Amino acid sequence: MNNKYIFGGFIIVVFLGLMAYLFTQTNISYENNFTEIMKTDKTIKATGAWVKTKNYHIDKEKNLFSFYMIDDEGKEMKVVYKGTIPNNFESATSVVVTGKYQKGIFHASDILTKCPSKYEEEFQETKNS
Amino acid sequence: MIGNILITLALLASVFTVVMYYLTSKGYENTLKPARIGYHSMAILVIAASAFLLHAILTHQYQFKYVFNYSNGDLPTGLLMSTFYAGQEGSFMLWLLFTAIVGLVLLEYTSKRKNLEPQVMMVFTLAASFLLLMVSPILKNPFTFIWTEPTFVDIKNLNQAFLSLPFVRNFIFEDPGGGQTFVKVGPELYSALTANGIEISNFIVKGKGLNPLLQNFWMQIHPPILFVGFAMSTVPFAFAFSALMKNYYNDWVKQSLPWIVAATGILGLAIMLGGYWAYGVLGWGGYWAWDPVENSSLVPWIIGVAAIHTMLVQKRTQEKEGLGRFGKTNLILSIMMYLLVLYSTFLTRSGILGDSSVHSFVDPGMTVYLLLVIFVGSFALLGFGAIAYRWKDLNKFFNFEENLLSRELALFTGSVALIASAIIILVGTSAPIFGQSVELRFYNELNLPIGIIIGLLNGFSLLLKWKATDGKSIFENSKFSIAATLISTLLIVFLGGVYEPVMIIFTLSSAFALFVNLEIAYKIIRGRKLFLGSYIAHVGIALFMLGVIATGGFTQEQQVDLAKGESTEVFGYQLTFTGYEPIENGKKYKFNVDINDGGSSYNVAPVMFVSDFNNSLMREPDILTKLTKDIYVSPVSYSEGSNEHNHGAQVTLIMGDTYDYKDAKITFKEFNFPQDAMNSMMGGGEFSIGTILSVEYQGESYLIEPKMVSINGQKNYVPAEVKEANLHVELLNLDASGKVIVVFSELEGNNMVTAPTKEILSIEASIKPFINLVWLGVLVMFIGFLMSALRRTKESRE
Repeated sequence: MNNKYIFGGFIIVVFLGLMAYLFTQTNISYENNFTEIMKTDKTIKATGAWVKTKNYHIDKEKNLFSFYMIDDEGKEMKVVYKGTIPNNFESATSVVVTGKYQKGIFHASDILTKCPSKYEEEFQETKNS
Repeated sequence: MIGNILITLALLASVFTVVMYYLTSKGYENTLKPARIGYHSMAILVIAASAFLLHAILTHQYQFKYVFNYSNGDLPTGLLMSTFYAGQEGSFMLWLLFTAIVGLVLLEYTSKRKNLEPQVMMVFTLAASFLLLMVSPILKNPFTFIWTEPTFVDIKNLNQAFLSLPFVRNFIFEDPGGGQTFVKVGPELYSALTANGIEISNFIVKGKGLNPLLQNFWMQIHPPILFVGFAMSTVPFAFAFSALMKNYYNDWVKQSLPWIVAATGILGLAIMLGGYWAYGVLGWGGYWAWDPVENSSLVPWIIGVAAIHTMLVQKRTQEKEGLGRFGKTNLILSIMMYLLVLYSTFLTRSGILGDSSVHSFVDPGMTVYLLLVIFVGSFALLGFGAIAYRWKDLNKFFNFEENLLSRELALFTGSVALIASAIIILVGTSAPIFGQSVELRFYNELNLPIGIIIGLLNGFSLLLKWKATDGKSIFENSKFSIAATLISTLLIVFLGGVYEPVMIIFTLSSAFALFVNLEIAYKIIRGRKLFLGSYIAHVGIALFMLGVIATGGFTQEQQVDLAKGESTEVFGYQLTFTGYEPIENGKKYKFNVDINDGGSSYNVAPVMFVSDFNNSLMREPDILTKLTKDIYVSPVSYSEGSNEHNHGAQVTLIMGDTYDYKDAKITFKEFNFPQDAMNSMMGGGEFSIGTILSVEYQGESYLIEPKMVSINGQKNYVPAEVKEANLHVELLNLDASGKVIVVFSELEGNNMVTAPTKEILSIEASIKPFINLVWLGVLVMFIGFLMSALRRTKESRE
């Protein structure tokens, strides 16, 4: 009778332990301060806006897509993504890139774009400022 | 107004129904009839409100903010109807509509089974009340008029005739960033328009339209089926809760089974349709990306499957022994399934996943967030509160000891494995709440061993008898299956080149599940056909897992440039780009690619277009589906092949910038955009905008003006040149914020080398082996679920 619970408990502990271990191994945190991102070489999800005035660049031969991102404090960072420009990129207001910062460039493995579904409100903000 | 009145009345009716059913459950006798009338009125009002919304969409009544935001007169009727649920408000409305309809069936069902209706319908109607509250005039209401809050409407959506009216001019705003002009539609403009006898529906003549990603067949079918699944998931919760209310647990499992089986089957189908949508149209390249929105509907599905299995044990054991095994587990799982549906809604609708998901909705505001929290919280409190309240009673019943080799224990172990998988996905999906996130590896690595266990148990549990089995008979019964499994695994390993040990084991376990179920299905096919349901569903999941192994482990991908007319070899196929052609009245372009496998020739035509909706380049893949594999062609880019750009320099200039090209110094001075051109633009007529550049070359100064000319919205660019400086300037794009993109090059004819021009289509080609098994598996599984639901419906009457 008690053996059953000991066995069950053991399985649960092993399972939770494994999951917690893998969680710490695969965990990626969000960061919107580029100064912090540049300090570490961990994989990070960087959130910010892409700098439209600097345009983006597509290198077809090497299959690279690069652009500049800016954070709230005005810090800029060059992002290079292996792959093509994502759908919706031109109209995106904010971007989330997953990757590592190395030697002055953020190497992204994934780009997620957020589109201005509520551009009226944003427009209002720019008018007020 | 009508819509809001209907919603408000429906809300009142549903609250009334809850109260009446509550009283009935407390023993009042004359409250049952009012309760039924209440429910029927609620359902009719909800259906009427939905019809009203659909009518508003079909007749383009842009005075409703929701209709304006998501639909457009250009859409074909089918897609236009699907804008019903393109936004938050409408998708809650759709969920509510299906809940109301499911409730009608449930009322019929419960009223025929004694002492069931009051409790079940009370809880069910309570859930409907929450949804009604969500779409009520104070929250995410689809009937809000556009002018109640100031909205900036692009002038291209307005009736041009009214724009010159003096009082309208006061509301026109220029967007400094995007070069668009807006009219502020708010209460002031509304009263001004009304005072002048202009109806707002005549003033706003175009809607914003539907996101091009949603403009396809799957948008019409995936969300409705998903919401049917969501609505039906309410039912197991209601049954479990009513059992707890009555403190009587013998019948509810039998009565709930057909519902939970049907709900889970439909939810599963909906999830797969979403996966196919992502794969075939959105161009994700695969059917599953562990996206939080996908995950959050998968978790309740897994819990539903786990619940079905332990419920079977309870049903089986209680016929002889009273309460039955896993009574508590089943109550908890049934409650969890619906709570997870609500939690999933919370994750995707509250804006909390904002940065982490492709298709989560944007921040909906604090009140919605709060109501969602209250919604999840109340049902969690109800469900777990009731279990805690009855905990002593629940523990009074039997304690069971199973034989190690019993089907009961095998089913339980299977459920535990499923629950573990659900926990993993839930943890990963919820991580963004805490500002964290996990790599996809987290899901894949943890779910792989669970998949293996489930495959093995899927086969093994069916070889076991209820109560106890002796080892010998298992082997006797499964000789054929084991032999078939071993042979087919060996074949797959050697022919398919599967050398990773984990993958071999996974293949073995899936094949085992497949053959055991096929054998049993074959044996009983002549007998009671309805009993086939579960075996068919199991065959489905086994096929699905084999498909996952093949596509997950053996997909090949490559990016290639296809020059027009020249064939390029990709994974053993000859691919030739033969040119592009406009489709859908020139809105989109399809790029024809011939695929030759040595014998036959096929054609695929991926599509690219620039969408008006978001001014973005959209790409749609095309797939050549063969029996054993898909050849997936995803467009990347297309270049005209004009070699001018290679020789020149493409630059972005901001007003005032200077750029040195060869020996010339070029400065972007200003735009030439006279008032009459501006007026013409407002009126939608023909206009041109010049870009004034000064060129300094060997002490001389020149002014040139490359232009953009817009005729009927079609933009054309007129280049300019300075002969003396051997300079050609081509305008590529201009932005009213003061930015131009230009290409500087030497005058043509002076170029030393003129490479032959080539049109090049870049594509990403991939081979997905046996992906058909994934779709087939889920479809087979769905059929199994349906048969099983029919069987359980019959049994629930016994």
